Amino acid sequence: MSRVITITSGKGGVGKTTSTANLGAALAMQGLKVAVVDADIGLRNLDVVMGLENRIVYDLVDVVEGRCRLRQALIKDKHFPDLCLLPAAQTRDKDAVTADDMIALTNQLRAEFDYVLIDSPAGIEAGFRNAIAGADEVLIVTTPEVAAVRDADRIIGLVEAFEKGHPRLIINRLKPRMVSRGEMMSIDDVLQILAIDLIGVVPDDEQIVTSTNRGEVAVLDRSSRAGRAFVEIARRLAGEDVPITVFDDNPGLLNRIFGAFGIRPRGSER
Amino acid sequence: MGFLDTLFGKRERSSDIARDRLLTVLVHDRVKLTPDMMEQLKADLSAVIARYVPSVDAGAIEVTLLRGESVDHLKADIPLRRTPQKL
Repeated sequence: MSRVITITSGKGGVGKTTSTANLGAALAMQGLKVAVVDADIGLRNLDVVMGLENRIVYDLVDVVEGRCRLRQALIKDKHFPDLCLLPAAQTRDKDAVTADDMIALTNQLRAEFDYVLIDSPAGIEAGFRNAIAGADEVLIVTTPEVAAVRDADRIIGLVEAFEKGHPRLIINRLKPRMVSRGEMMSIDDVLQILAIDLIGVVPDDEQIVTSTNRGEVAVLDRSSRAGRAFVEIARRLAGEDVPITVFDDNPGLLNRIFGAFGIRPRGSER
Repeated sequence: MGFLDTLFGKRERSSDIARDRLLTVLVHDRVKLTPDMMEQLKADLSAVIARYVPSVDAGAIEVTLLRGESVDHLKADIPLRRTPQKL
């Protein structure tokens, strides 16, 4: 049984595309067949995050409008042969596809893949509604900031109104040190406010910037804390019972001393 | 924002401020009471209460929306003027 999962957030810039690319790669690392779909028509991004921008011939709108077959538009990932990208059109807008088109498209993808991950555009309009139309489940990405959590709350309500079940939450760009100083909302603060199940916590990690610069996903880099967090989330998504780890920021003095002796604390459990 | 400030209670932790602001914003988002409607609500409330308690201080009524665990609350604080007692 294949699963179609939409990654959305309401607010822009909280890490939907990065999450989609990394979860897609992490699921493919488990040997699963995965398609990632860029549903942000007109603002194509997932291709550059994955470093596949030079290989695009056809896009999602070409498939929907019958200019090519689905297989012609799918781009194989550089590292994982079982991971494919369906890019968004760059020169069209969200009105180029309908919710019914997206349902038909996801059904076609179900026949070929174990997982279909859809990267939703920001906002609550047609683009978002198209992105969740064919989904079985929804993941919501937020950061521990007032504006992002407010938008996440709005999106949770909409996802439930569209009868997509109970979405699960990814808290992205958490800075554990700031949380411990009382300068950033904690995981519990966010969960209490949103009353939603947590699927994972991704720490703020500068390596995301450098890996994105190169068009590589962070899960390929075993030293990336964000990458490790995404690997864990993918395992949870696939049904494994993995306790949630909060991978810590820059090592503190104690960790550095332990590190000098070759002992590397992995992070603290929630 | 220094550690000492927190220790001596000079400044509230910004994470707490964020959480409280969010709670207020969310309850307003959900209940959809505009500031105009809130003003109207206060005026209506004071008119009704004045029928029973003439000393109600209409201008000082405060109505706030609060988020609770399972239900939200509309809380009204209705101050009454203390008038000198007649013997």
